[in-house]
Amino acid sequence: MTEQNQENIARRQVLIRGAKAAASIAAVVGVARWLYDPKGPGAKKGSDPFFGEAKGLPDFSVPRKDGQVISIVKGENRAKTVNKAIELLGGIERFINPGDIVVIKPNVGFATPSILGATTHPDVITAVVKLCYEKKASKVIVTDNSINDPASCFTISGISKAASAAGAQVVMPRDSYFSPLTLEGGSLIKDWPVYCAPFAKANKLIGIAPLKNHHRSAASMTMKNWYGLLGGRRNVFHQDINNIIAELAMLVKPTLVILDGTVTMMTNGPTGGSVSDLKKTNTMIASCDMVAADAFGSTLLNLKSADLPYLAIAEKAGVGTVDYESLKPLRTEVT
Amino acid sequence: MLLTTCRGNPDESGMRNFMRIHSGRARTLESAVGVLILLIMIATVVGIYIISEAGSSPGSVSQDYNMARFGITSEQEQQGDFTPVGKAEAYNNDNLYEKIDGKAPMYQEAGFVKLDTQRFAAKSNSEIGFELYTYDMNNAKNAFSVYSRQKRADATDLSDLGASAFGYVAGNAICLSLGKNYIEMIGSAESNELVDGMKGIAKNMAVQFKPGEKDKIVELGYFPVEGTVAGTWKLQIDNAFGFDGLTDAYSALYKSGDKSVSIFFSRRKNADEAKTVAKNYFDFLITNGGKAVTVDSEILKSAGASVVDFYSAFEIVFPAGIFVGGVHEADNKQAAEKGAEVLIGRLKEIND
Repeated sequence: MTEQNQENIARRQVLIRGAKAAASIAAVVGVARWLYDPKGPGAKKGSDPFFGEAKGLPDFSVPRKDGQVISIVKGENRAKTVNKAIELLGGIERFINPGDIVVIKPNVGFATPSILGATTHPDVITAVVKLCYEKKASKVIVTDNSINDPASCFTISGISKAASAAGAQVVMPRDSYFSPLTLEGGSLIKDWPVYCAPFAKANKLIGIAPLKNHHRSAASMTMKNWYGLLGGRRNVFHQDINNIIAELAMLVKPTLVILDGTVTMMTNGPTGGSVSDLKKTNTMIASCDMVAADAFGSTLLNLKSADLPYLAIAEKAGVGTVDYESLKPLRTEVT
Repeated sequence: MLLTTCRGNPDESGMRNFMRIHSGRARTLESAVGVLILLIMIATVVGIYIISEAGSSPGSVSQDYNMARFGITSEQEQQGDFTPVGKAEAYNNDNLYEKIDGKAPMYQEAGFVKLDTQRFAAKSNSEIGFELYTYDMNNAKNAFSVYSRQKRADATDLSDLGASAFGYVAGNAICLSLGKNYIEMIGSAESNELVDGMKGIAKNMAVQFKPGEKDKIVELGYFPVEGTVAGTWKLQIDNAFGFDGLTDAYSALYKSGDKSVSIFFSRRKNADEAKTVAKNYFDFLITNGGKAVTVDSEILKSAGASVVDFYSAFEIVFPAGIFVGGVHEADNKQAAEKGAEVLIGRLKEIND
C-alpha cells in the first residue's frame, strides 16, 4: 500500500464519517424542530367541537352611562344586595338582552367550602343566573379554570350545585378550551394559553369575585379573578403579579363585574382556611369599571389604592378609574 | 491489488497487519462510544418525556392511602371519628401552586419540600369533615416560620401536644408545627364535634411525629422572661418587615403595663455583622419615608439604638452583641423604648 493510497483512504473515511455525522445532526435537529411547541403548554388547540373555534376574547362591555358605573350596597343577604346593586346600575336589562349567551366567571380556584370565603359564594351565582334568565338569556354558562381538580373545586365550593339548580350550564376546563393569545402592547401575555373556548359563542361576560387578602398581590378582587383564565404554568406570573393582573384587565372586557364583600378574607389569603381569617363587611359592589370596584374593595381590606400597584397600571392603560368617588357611586342599604 | 502489493513487500504486510489490528480496536472503541452516546440520548428523551408528562398532569400525584402517614394508627382508625374520602395527594415545588396558588411562594421561600393532603369525612355525618395538609418544611425552624406567620389572632393554643410542639385551634381549623412538619386541618364547617375529633387527630400526630430536642426552637427562650406574651412568637426567615437584609427574625408581643409592642431580634454571625445589619435596616426605614427622632432612653442611647417615626408608627433598631434587636410598628414611643430597654438587657444576658 502506498502512502498515496493510505491518504486517499483516510480522506475518504473522513468524508464519509463527516457526512454521517452531519446527517445525524440534521436528523436530531429535524426531530427537535418537529417536537418543539412554540405555543407553550396547553396551547396546542384552538377550537372545540362543542363551543366552536375560539378567536380570542371579544369585547363584552356595554355602553358606559355616567352616574351608573358603580354601585355599593350594604347588607347581609347576598341575593338581595346583588339584585339591588344591579338594579342601581340600570337593572339587568341594561346588561342582558333576550337570546344572549352569558358566561359567568366566578372564582373557583380552590376545593374549599363556601364558609371559608376563598371562592365565589354560591348564593351570588344563583341570584345572577336567575336574573339573566329572567331577561330571557338563551344560555348561561358558569365556568372557571380551576387549576386544582376542577370537579372537586366546583363541587366542594357549592358552585356547581347552585349554578345547575338555577339552570346554568357548568363547564369544566379542558385542554382544548385554551388558545394562545397575545395582548397587544403587553409584556407578559404573549402567545400564552388562555381559556377562550367557553366564550366563543357568548356575547356577555360577568365576573363575580370574592373579596380576599392575597399573599402575593395584597388583594384578590375582580381584576385578579381573570387570573383564572390563564392556562399553562401560570404560577410563573406570580413574580410579576401587579403587571399580570393589569394585563389581564386590559385583555378582558367584561359586561359587568360583581365584587362580593359580604364577608372579606382579611388574612392568610388567597386560600384562608379558618373562619378566623374572615370579617363580616356586608358590602356588595357591582360595576362596569373593574378598577373602581377594586379600588373601593381595597378599603374593606384596610388598604389604600396605592397599596395595590396594579390599579394605577390599569388606570394608566385606560381600563378604569382608581378614584372611584369621582364616578359618584350609587349607594344604598338593604335589610 | 492491495493483496498483491502486500504480498510483494513483507515490511508493508507487517504494517498492514499492525494497522488492521489497531483499526479494528479503534472501530470497536468508536462503536462503544457511539452506543453509549445513543443510550444517553435515549435516556434524555425518556427523562424529558416523563418530566413533561408529570408536569402536564393537572392537579396532583395520587398516592395509595396510608393512615399512618397522617399520624393515625389502624387502631385509632377503627375507633376514630373519620374516614378518608378520595385519594391522598402529593405536591412538590413544581406543582404546589396547583393546590394553594398565590400562597405557594411563602412556603417555598421558607424551605418547602413536599405537601401531602387527604380529605376525611366524619363517620357520624358524611356532610362534614376536614382536609389535612401536611407540609414537609425540611426542618423545625422552617415549619415554625410558616406556622407562626399564619397564626390567627383569635387562636386558642393547644397546650397538651408535648415539648417542642406547637398547635392552636381557630374556628374550624387546627394548625400544628411538629418538628419539620407544618400541619393544617381545615374543617368544612364550624362544629364543636368536628373540632373535637380533629383535636384527637392532632394529639395522635404529635405522638406520631414526636418533635425532639433537635426540633427545639431555642431562640424563643431569648425573649424577656417577664412580659413576653406566650404564643405570639413569629419567625420570619427571609425579608423580615420588608427588608431583605433582615433574616431569621424572631418577634413577639411584649406587654408593659397596658401597652403591647412587638419586639424582635435576629442572631448574626458576629457583632460586626449585627452592627451592619442594624445600620442597613435603619437606612432602609429612612429611605422609605421614615424620620429619625430623638432617643429619650439613656439605655437606648448607650446601646446605639435608633428610633424612627415610620408613618406614625415607631420603629427601633439596635445592635446588641451578635444580635440585631428592635421594636416594630409600635403605636406609642414610650412603650416602644421600654420594650427595647428590656430586650437589650435580655440579649446582653444571652451574649454573656
